[in-house]
Amino acid sequence: MRWKLSDLKKNNIPQAVILLAPAFILFTVFVVVPVIQAMYYSLFSWNGMGPLRSFQGFINFTKIFGDDIFHIALINNLKIVAASLFIQLPIAFLLALLIGRKSFKGEVLFRGIFFFPYVVSEIVIGIIWRFIYDPRFGIPTLLWSFATGQPHQIGLLGDPTVAFNAVLVVVLWKYIGFHLILYIAGLQNIPAELEEAAIVDGANRFQTVTRIIIPSMRGTFIISVFFSVIGSFNVFDVVWAMGQGGPVHSTETIVTYLYNYGFRRFDFGYGSAIAVILFVICLIFNIFYQRYVVGEKDGLR
Amino acid sequence: MALGKSKLSNLNKKKIQRNIKIGISILVSVVTLFPVYAVLINSFKTNGQIFSAPFAIPAPPNLDAYVGILTKNADFWMFFFNSTVVAALTIGIILITAFMASLALSRLRFPGHAKVYNYFVMGMLFPLTVAILPLYLQLRALGMIGSLSGVILAQVSFGLPTSIFILTGFFREIPQEFQDATQVDGGGIGTFGFKILLPISTPVISTVTVINFIQSWNQFLLPLLVLDNRKTFTIPLGVMQYQGQFTSGWNFIMAFITISMIPMLLFYIFLQKYIVAGLTAGAVKG
Repeated sequence: MRWKLSDLKKNNIPQAVILLAPAFILFTVFVVVPVIQAMYYSLFSWNGMGPLRSFQGFINFTKIFGDDIFHIALINNLKIVAASLFIQLPIAFLLALLIGRKSFKGEVLFRGIFFFPYVVSEIVIGIIWRFIYDPRFGIPTLLWSFATGQPHQIGLLGDPTVAFNAVLVVVLWKYIGFHLILYIAGLQNIPAELEEAAIVDGANRFQTVTRIIIPSMRGTFIISVFFSVIGSFNVFDVVWAMGQGGPVHSTETIVTYLYNYGFRRFDFGYGSAIAVILFVICLIFNIFYQRYVVGEKDGLR
Repeated sequence: MALGKSKLSNLNKKKIQRNIKIGISILVSVVTLFPVYAVLINSFKTNGQIFSAPFAIPAPPNLDAYVGILTKNADFWMFFFNSTVVAALTIGIILITAFMASLALSRLRFPGHAKVYNYFVMGMLFPLTVAILPLYLQLRALGMIGSLSGVILAQVSFGLPTSIFILTGFFREIPQEFQDATQVDGGGIGTFGFKILLPISTPVISTVTVINFIQSWNQFLLPLLVLDNRKTFTIPLGVMQYQGQFTSGWNFIMAFITISMIPMLLFYIFLQKYIVAGLTAGAVKG
């Protein structure tokens, strides 16, 4: 993109400083400085009180990487990434093909409905789903008694072997609408002539989608996958509302682990180390993604 | 004749396709709206009714939960007030500071402006959650734990990158002639910003407002760490605490949730196009 700059006044430095200062100071003080400080704190054992004295190098990091609960958290985050990429995004894309192309009346209404869960807070969503999953009267219990004819309580969130999958369903359910909206915008950016030309050339529906639509939406997919992966590593509220990482740590994610083991125990050196790990995961993903997936043309900027 | 027939069958095929599409859409709508339905109907029941028929229409409807929450207990209004103050100030400060910064970044020549822009936009790559513990320590060092101002300033700072990205993108598209004309008339960058840019920026300002409202209204983790006194709790913290109390029945929780969703619902219904614009700003720019 070309800059359109004022040629009338050459020296704009004083004005620029005044205009940029408030945003620059806020962003630096509350975003950049804390992240850098955390890298320093992570090298200490520190309960948050008094000066940083007990330097211990990378012990916090080795402890974290040796902790089984952190392994559960990390694997859970990776499961969210995988489920988002291979289940959520394809569903969102199919729905976008279904309602994003002005082929019947009421599309706008359906779009509004599908997108709605996105604007409801994760806490509220988590609480509602806990109600839906309630072992005494919830949907799983009802379905079970309906299917087998025998009353039997199904407590998905109380069972460590299935609790995480029950939470995962909710995460997928909540963010389908978000990706759907991105895809609809992407679809509507494809010139109609392109698709018409393909149909004239004898392409069937499937070919139009794979040869025309998907390649044309590259930029949209790049953004959607980006949000999906970064979001998956930062899941907290839903998990918190549905069981705070339990039962027996089965639904722990990196951020619940950080809250439970860094913040709640006032172990701020340890917590900072977890924060640094989370930051580095996102950073590595960003660098890798910018370099190998995002081309020169479709950058985030 | 043959042509007419194939046209007819084509029309039929289209109709069937359309009906399948509508059918699937209705099915997905049911799955999407079921939780909302569950909240709404159960907020009009007694706890006994909930346990005997949790997903049935309330018969007869019961208003105890609403009366209890809105009149007998001041908590809801307190949480509501706090959430409103936090959202309003967050949005206000973001609009002022991001507007100023974007004005400089899009319309002024100064050394290093690309670097400054990248410095801000880099923030879009990292959500607030990534920095939550460092942020907590920083707020504590600044003596802002327990106060709404800590929540507000932190939210502002994490809202700035996207807001600056959207505003700068829009401002860059304004033709240079407008700015030159202002300058010929003796007006500076401030005059240009207020008199020319501000009036034509209402759609993009609405977009920034709406996306930051959603972030602020639904924010949970930050207030969870920062606010330690329930007098300062925002709605998400309040809902979470409320549902954890042994005494609050599901009907009260559901009524609480229903009322707390009303502002968001209004935003959603009337400003949906700005929400969509905000979300797709990055995607469409490409």
